[in-house]
Amino acid sequence: MIPQEIANTIVDPKAYAAEKPIDEAFSFLRKEMPLEQAQPEGFAPFWVITKHADILEVEKQNELFHNGDLATTLVPIDVDQKVRQLMGGSPHLVRSLVQMDNPDHMAYRRLTQAWFLPQNLKKLEGRIKDIAKVFVDRMAGMGGECDFAKDVALYFPLHVIMETLGVPEADEPLMLKLTQELFGSADPELNRTGKEAPSFEDGLVAMQAVIGDFITYFNALTEDRRANPREDLSTVIANGQINGAPLDHFAAMSYYIIAATAGHDTTSNTTSAGLWALAERPDDFKRLKADPSLIPGFIDETIRWATPVKHFMRSATADAVVRGQKISKGDWMMLCYPSGNRDEEVFDKPFEFQIDRKPNKQLAFGYGAHVCIGQHLAKLEMRLFWEEILRRVDSVELAGAPKNSVSNFVCGPKNVPVRYKMN
Amino acid sequence: MRKWQCQVCGFIYDEAEGLPDEGIEAGTLWEDIPEDWVCPDCGSSKADFAMAEID
Repeated sequence: MIPQEIANTIVDPKAYAAEKPIDEAFSFLRKEMPLEQAQPEGFAPFWVITKHADILEVEKQNELFHNGDLATTLVPIDVDQKVRQLMGGSPHLVRSLVQMDNPDHMAYRRLTQAWFLPQNLKKLEGRIKDIAKVFVDRMAGMGGECDFAKDVALYFPLHVIMETLGVPEADEPLMLKLTQELFGSADPELNRTGKEAPSFEDGLVAMQAVIGDFITYFNALTEDRRANPREDLSTVIANGQINGAPLDHFAAMSYYIIAATAGHDTTSNTTSAGLWALAERPDDFKRLKADPSLIPGFIDETIRWATPVKHFMRSATADAVVRGQKISKGDWMMLCYPSGNRDEEVFDKPFEFQIDRKPNKQLAFGYGAHVCIGQHLAKLEMRLFWEEILRRVDSVELAGAPKNSVSNFVCGPKNVPVRYKMN
Repeated sequence: MRKWQCQVCGFIYDEAEGLPDEGIEAGTLWEDIPEDWVCPDCGSSKADFAMAEID
């Protein structure tokens, strides 16, 4: 069993915000206990999967290791019980691709999969480039100093995904607020309760209210797209059919919610982490500026560096063996992505930021059937954004201490104060 | 020579290029790739690939 102090650290949202405690905990586990059980206070026991190879091994066996039988993210026992009471026995507040297994997962994923493939996204490239220019212009108008995370990186991917979904620009502040409340339920500045240190239970009640607000919004959008189909992603979801019938209502609402939320928070976290890294590494900034062909590799490294999704959970549908360890049917398992992305067996000097790292088998998008459906959109928008930033910004440095959001699920830089010169 | 695309993650297998890093020589036809081969990017099986017309 993992020592209690380490077990408590890996569920502690503040440890992820501070970075050092979680890096130290995972480094210890990779070396001493790469696949072991933990039971933090208040939690049911679960296996902690810290090695890159084991995360891939589990993720590619999506029939043996299910997403949806138990909670897909870390929740304490009492919160899990409350969720089940509220949701008629289900451990999930939403029913998106993340919570589904086959046959539903495949059927629902197929609905939008082709839409997210690179050849389809090409048609969005011109428009996303224009949006990138608008946001870099906005940065230019800020007088050489801004909070890059809060003033720029937060809004660019938000605008892209909202335009993709067909959400009007006027509603973007609402979408941003709801997303931050959903993922920031443990953050003193972002959570809906307004409490400095909300309990898991406070967070649950607030999250359910947030989801209710999302559903109210997307109900109206669905009705509109059924009556007035457009070229957007919402039209695909609103008019989609599974086995000849419209989507289950709750699953459709969940589809919008996952697209609206996962589609920008992770990308803005990664972009902010990238500028933070460059502000501390002026030589890398100069190299990238001089040679834009380095940008795709740099983006892969920022994704590895930030790893904005900190974990997902799986559960075994039958007895299994991973790394020689027996996992019993029904066991709960934590896939630790930041740990996999710092695995010394896969990455040379994993705690160094290397813009030309090759190979870079980062696993921040996951692997197997549940690999992030929006990964190509995320990479496309980051490439277009960085091309514009590197063309326009001549130099950048930190103007204060950056700060991460507080969460054990999705988090990254929420403040990156920078000083810069633009042409 | 054709190109095949993983419908789960978008990875493209180009018969002309093969995958030398994985021991698959340039010019290897899709039919000649072992049935237990998986997508190098996401681990999906050959059955998850489809013919893709790529520019």
